[in-house]
Amino acid sequence: MKALNYSPEHLTSNRRLFWIAAALGVIMMAPVAWIIGLSLKDNAELLKGTEAVFSFPYTLVNYANILESSSVFGWFMNSMIVAVGQTFGVLLLSSLAGYAFARLEFPFRKTLFIIVLFGLAVPEQAVIIARHQMFNWFDLHNTHIGLILPNLSSAFGVFLMTQFFRAIPKEIDEAAMLDNTSTFRIFWKVLLPLTLPAQATLGIFTFLQAWNDYWWPLISATKSDMYTLTIGIASSQTNFAQSEGLGFLGAQAIFASLPVVIVYIFFQRHIVTAVSGGAVK
Amino acid sequence: MAESYRRSRWTNGLFVVPYLSVFLTLLVFPLGWGIWLSLNKVDLFGGERFIGLKNYARVLSDPIFGQAVKNTLIFVGVSVPTLVILGLFLALALNKTTKGSSFLRGLFFASSILSVTIVTLIWRIVFIPNDGLMALIFNYFGWQPIGFLSTTGWSLFSVGVATVWWCIGLPMMLFLAALQQIPKDLYEAAALDNASRWRVLTRITLPSIKSTIMLVAIIQVVMQFQLFGQAQLMTNGGPAGSSRPIVMYIYEIGFLRWDIGMGAAASQILFLIILCAAMLQYWVSTRKEETDA
Amino acid sequence: MKKLLLGTTAVSLLALSSWANANTTIELQRFFGACEAEYGKTTDVSAAVGECGIITTLVNKFEADNPDIDVKVTTVEWPGYDQLNAQLASRSAPDVVSMHYSAMSDYQSRGLLVPLDKLLKDQGIKATDFTDAAISSVTKEGKVYALPFDNWTMLFHVNNNLMKKADLMKADGTPMLPTSRDELFAQGKQFNEATGKPYLVQVLANETATYARIFYTLMMQQDSKFFADPGHIDLSGEDAKAALTLMKNIMDKDLSTKNMDYPAAVSAFANGAGGIAVNGTWLIGSYDAQSKQANNALSDGYSVFPVPQFFKQKDATYADGHGWVVPRGDRSDEKMAAIGKLFKFLYDNDYEWSRTGHLPTVKKVIASDKFKSLPHRSDIAKIATTGQALPAGVLRQFAIQDILGEELGSAVTGNKSIDDALETAQYRINDLLENI
Repeated sequence: MKALNYSPEHLTSNRRLFWIAAALGVIMMAPVAWIIGLSLKDNAELLKGTEAVFSFPYTLVNYANILESSSVFGWFMNSMIVAVGQTFGVLLLSSLAGYAFARLEFPFRKTLFIIVLFGLAVPEQAVIIARHQMFNWFDLHNTHIGLILPNLSSAFGVFLMTQFFRAIPKEIDEAAMLDNTSTFRIFWKVLLPLTLPAQATLGIFTFLQAWNDYWWPLISATKSDMYTLTIGIASSQTNFAQSEGLGFLGAQAIFASLPVVIVYIFFQRHIVTAVSGGAVK
Repeated sequence: MAESYRRSRWTNGLFVVPYLSVFLTLLVFPLGWGIWLSLNKVDLFGGERFIGLKNYARVLSDPIFGQAVKNTLIFVGVSVPTLVILGLFLALALNKTTKGSSFLRGLFFASSILSVTIVTLIWRIVFIPNDGLMALIFNYFGWQPIGFLSTTGWSLFSVGVATVWWCIGLPMMLFLAALQQIPKDLYEAAALDNASRWRVLTRITLPSIKSTIMLVAIIQVVMQFQLFGQAQLMTNGGPAGSSRPIVMYIYEIGFLRWDIGMGAAASQILFLIILCAAMLQYWVSTRKEETDA
Repeated sequence: MKKLLLGTTAVSLLALSSWANANTTIELQRFFGACEAEYGKTTDVSAAVGECGIITTLVNKFEADNPDIDVKVTTVEWPGYDQLNAQLASRSAPDVVSMHYSAMSDYQSRGLLVPLDKLLKDQGIKATDFTDAAISSVTKEGKVYALPFDNWTMLFHVNNNLMKKADLMKADGTPMLPTSRDELFAQGKQFNEATGKPYLVQVLANETATYARIFYTLMMQQDSKFFADPGHIDLSGEDAKAALTLMKNIMDKDLSTKNMDYPAAVSAFANGAGGIAVNGTWLIGSYDAQSKQANNALSDGYSVFPVPQFFKQKDATYADGHGWVVPRGDRSDEKMAAIGKLFKFLYDNDYEWSRTGHLPTVKKVIASDKFKSLPHRSDIAKIATTGQALPAGVLRQFAIQDILGEELGSAVTGNKSIDDALETAQYRINDLLENI
């Protein structure tokens, strides 16, 4: 045993565990490799049997077909607009509210905060039917706004930002106060920049949630122009042997995931820090 | 000056007005409205008529709702421990700064960024009979094929496999973050005592990240109770409703059978169940801490 | 300079005029699958095969023939009624929607469909142009609510090549099919022993429709009045028990493939995995096309027949059909006229649609030599008279189908007893119908 051995990494982890994890990683990737394989095969060949995946020839025809005629681009844009819009909305509302709950005094502050905390416990399912009716009244279905709005009410962001604003040392804004800065300026110029790590965490969570949202877009975005990627891909899974074929569907799945996967590969480090940031508290 | 900053003012409350207005219109009001709907005979195209608790009685006496509750409880009961244990294992195995570990961390988290329809598309094409990856593997070894998506028991299992594959990233990341927070001197002391790895794990590591384990478990319980997309897209709840979760039941009642009054009643019951489950977990965890102390 | 100026004016005038003649857009929502990759660009209807190919090329052709009308197609997951319900509730339903006759009462009874009598009359289409079966299915309270497009039933699609192997061919080159329950099991056993493959290829997984359709057929063959009161199903009799017992025995005696969902069953039969596919009229075109190609399981060996009569009481088979409806909504006269043109076009091309295997709804087409000379049509001609739907007054037929299919499935796979499954199905369906 070398002296180095007391480092936490060496005590919590070892080679054998690593190789088990690596094996799990291979299992994890197998379905993806399978889909990539299918996407590179001609559909007619696959109809005779999918063992064809393991032998030549391979082709890019499925991808060419997507570029030519698929609606994936439109769905992708809708998903982007909704996810980005929702992320900014949540960050803005949660930061404003979190700041006030954490660092300002106003009447009913505590009561209001407790009410908001209660909101944490309300799952989407408990309100979705009523929301669907409400959005009918205001003709908000099949609009981007209609897709963005519901999740802005999530109390999680406010809770998280309140925690982070609380963690900032009191001296910082008190020093700013001596310079007679307005409350809003203190928030905007002094404190908000300090919460950037928290913003990143909340932002990524919100974005992923919006990107993966299923039920609300399923009943709200009912026109094909307004489909998000999630709903669009679902709609094309219909009766697949009869229509597009496994190769085309595989290509669609790969193609639709490509943008987020690329973003993920480039920003992986940031995303990982941000996600882990959520656990520090 | 600093004194006045801390003073209570109405204007300070303006900061919470934007969120509160959204909160009230899109969460509090629909919650109340949903409860009102659940007390009415009302369908997708109108026709409200107050009927008291009759919708609740219908939901609770519906054998299919009972089956959906059972399916959901089984699903949560199996998938959450799996996610916690597997996530913890991966975090322990990959808590290193080597290139290989960092690559694998990235790999295990990567599936979380995919949307549910892509996850289910992938897994459907893995599990489908005859042409799926599993069918090929079984065929190669000459095993009896299994109808993963169409056999009672297996269908919910398959939905669970896809779900664990999809969701494993977050628990792993949260555990990794927690592991990084454990003070190094604890391990130094252990090394001096020549403690075994197992002892270090059970006496130092796990107790230090106890609160994270609880956090991960609560997050996953709340998430997995809301199972819907995977089941709807992979098995459509079948066969014979054996993989139909509560949320899918609500969807079907509301949008296939038009009965949003009954759907609203079922969703209030789901709300209660989730609330109880989360509170029970919280209660168990705090009580444990007390006895530990 | 002058030229340039003239040129610019001409171009801008052109641009202006095309703007002034802004196209009318029809939003069309349908099932039948998506096949943009294969058929997205072609207008050659006669070369298309299968439901998806034919409807896609038909719409392309219509757009090409009518440059002033755009048809925007949305493909929904079959049958797409949950999505339509959400759309109707939010007043954003499309202009034209594909709908089963069996689903129409739900929407018509709530005033969610537009009557089409005037629209069809303006295009010179008369009610008497359609077969009685078709027009009566889409007529509610004296008004026509859909353009009837086809009638369909379940059929026995037969792989003659395998039947030959099992010595189940008659001298005239047609397959020997059972005429009773006993023969079904005897021939199934013979087939299985000779080929090592299951006799029947059935859709049994992740679907409820097939179970329900077969069950309805077996009930109708017993002349059962299980919907004597459209607000109430009666599954307590011996007839229901007999029908379900037959379905269960088929599974228990290993007469059928297991665990296959719809796409798997369709391709399994195409790959020669079993003798007889129990599936709908819509596959005739595709399977027939395959049988004309060399070196595949169906080469030169495909035929198709109505579901045999397993019960003595009545030669009957469950039938339904697809129509095109116009959901309630605000539409300009131009748009209604454009929809009228589209319907006339679909009406005129009912023959092309019938190449899928569906029965045409237009009398002229049925009488035409073109249709009669399509392969296999004479073998299944009698479904036009034996086809039978549920009583029109039965609401929520798709929800009923889901419940029934689920419970029948439980019994067939052995998760519930036959009595238990029928009892639960009856309870659930009646609870649904009582609370509409």
